[in-house]
Amino acid sequence: MKVVKVLLSVLVVLALFAGTALAGETIKIGVLAPLTGFAAADGESVLNSVNIAVDKINASGGVLGKKVELVVYDDRADAKEAVSLAHKLIGQDRVVAVVGGSYSMPTRAVATFFQEAQIPFVAAYAVHPDITKAGDFCFRNGFLAEVEGKAAAKVATDMLGAKRIAVLYSDIDFGRTLSKGFKEYIDTKTTGVEIVYSKAYPFKEKDYKPYLSEIKELNPDLIMVNGYYFQTGPILKQAREMGIESIILGEEGADSPKLVELAGPSAAEGFIIVTNLNRDDERPVVQEFIKEYEGRYGIAPDMVGASAYDALTIIVDAIQRAGSTDGKAIRDAIASTKDFDGLTGVIKGFNEIGEVVKPVQVQIIKFGKYRYFGVVDDPDIINP
Amino acid sequence: MDLFIEQLMNGLAIGAIYALITSGLSLIYGILRILHVAHAGIYTIGAYVGLGVYSMTGNLLFAILASMAVCSILGILVERIVYSPLLKFPPYVPLIASIALLLGIEEVMRLIAGPQIHGFPVSLPLATIRVGNISLSSALVMVYIVSIVIFFVLWIITSKTDLGLAMRAVSQDMSIASAMGINSRQIVSLTFAIGSSIAAIAGILVGIYFNQVYPTMGAVPAYKTLALIVVGGLGSVPGAILASLLLGIAETLLIGYANIPFPRDALAFVAMILVLMIRPEGLLGNIKKKI
Repeated sequence: MKVVKVLLSVLVVLALFAGTALAGETIKIGVLAPLTGFAAADGESVLNSVNIAVDKINASGGVLGKKVELVVYDDRADAKEAVSLAHKLIGQDRVVAVVGGSYSMPTRAVATFFQEAQIPFVAAYAVHPDITKAGDFCFRNGFLAEVEGKAAAKVATDMLGAKRIAVLYSDIDFGRTLSKGFKEYIDTKTTGVEIVYSKAYPFKEKDYKPYLSEIKELNPDLIMVNGYYFQTGPILKQAREMGIESIILGEEGADSPKLVELAGPSAAEGFIIVTNLNRDDERPVVQEFIKEYEGRYGIAPDMVGASAYDALTIIVDAIQRAGSTDGKAIRDAIASTKDFDGLTGVIKGFNEIGEVVKPVQVQIIKFGKYRYFGVVDDPDIINP
Repeated sequence: MDLFIEQLMNGLAIGAIYALITSGLSLIYGILRILHVAHAGIYTIGAYVGLGVYSMTGNLLFAILASMAVCSILGILVERIVYSPLLKFPPYVPLIASIALLLGIEEVMRLIAGPQIHGFPVSLPLATIRVGNISLSSALVMVYIVSIVIFFVLWIITSKTDLGLAMRAVSQDMSIASAMGINSRQIVSLTFAIGSSIAAIAGILVGIYFNQVYPTMGAVPAYKTLALIVVGGLGSVPGAILASLLLGIAETLLIGYANIPFPRDALAFVAMILVLMIRPEGLLGNIKKKI
């Protein structure tokens, strides 16, 4: 009996050692994304894209001689859900860094916890300013809503020559801040341009005809439409059905292949957005990703997934340069990122708040697909 | 003036959509005195079945008929399996069962078809109507035509046929109706079948009108239609339709002329509170008949 006990304890000890040895062979990076719930399509895009990134990294030998292992959790785009998952990533999974692949509300809620735990956190595409303000361990690879608003205003006035503009925005933080940036640029940087209409619609709105009827009466040169693809898609459809012929300009929330489905191909044609993915960028990193994504999943990639891909590769690049998985060392390496060959453009670096500095892409829908239209890289717009 | 007329037409279309969902609910309330919240679930299923059949066959009429058939059967099953055994309990018991059923339907649809929003890509064989500066899109025209036809058929059934007479008899007193030789069980089932097939049409219509079909599309109608049948007068189908049309117009005009981002869904409940205070029997309800 005693022999059995001794043997058992030896086995247990061995198993424990084996466990730690196995765990030590990979570098764990956390990913939070909305895999179910209203934002599920975005969560899926994040998951698909980080999987491509991690396969590519591991195929070329991993980082610091170890394989990268992703720990992916579904936060349902819900702040409460995200907070408990953040604690799980910190306490149980002991990840070395985290990709924030979710919307502003959950991302904003978890940023402070990663800051306290000194785990570097890169928000992929969430736009709320508070995320990076949580501290020096928090970074953002997407644009601030205000940057995007200003870039959109430049596109509207400089590239498209609009003089009379209507603004229709979603009544959430994102929409309010974006339209503020848009109007600020019009007020301070342009002359002879007039905002003839500006109204917010509630987030859950389905019928935009009451707004569009008013806009139609004003007949503006351009309508700036803010919202996610499940909002801008129907807006485009209803506007064209009603015979509105103004140019319609949107932003990254509309950067999804789902937009064309919800707007219908003819209403979507010619729709222009400011975003951070240029599908016609000839750098190999972009073209290889698009090819791989379409081959694996049978659909076109979007800006959400591309941003998550970059958030992960920025972290891995930083670990490589830091030569360590220590939180502080990775943080410093991310902060000193320079001219990184990212999927969402050449990333010039991060400013002292942790905001990315890179050009804003302008895309137009041609034959049902987003294509290159232009780029905004004025330093006073893209430096937040 | 053009703008006002256009807004009125927009509002009327939204009202007609509400009316389609609410009329079935009102019919069912009238006969069983239960709040059939899961009606909005049947409407969701109707949209999905319509979309599924349409994408397989490309025939919209066939999709509508298939969806009506599936929803009628589901409606009858819900009544037989869920409500019938619960009728002996206080009214909140079937209500809770109904809420559970709605949530269950939403989750099942999510598991089957995924959480994403699906488009409903139908090109309508209708032209945009233009009168001067006012244009009525083909989607609006479709909503008007379909709802007028449905309401007309519903009116014929309930007031001009023996079936309608039997339905009214059962709704006034089920046991006396049975004593007079009416097969009450059959009438109840038929009422569920009619109400549910209208919900199926409403689901498809909404799917096409907004080009969106998704698992939780019944969530807002589920509670809004409850407010509407109270405003219209419990159990009164014409009242429910009138209340729906008025609400659709009121919502649209409020958004068009007020400068605040008003959540339109709140308006139905404001209307319900006002009606309960001023005219508790509802717009067209007759309180004495019910007692």
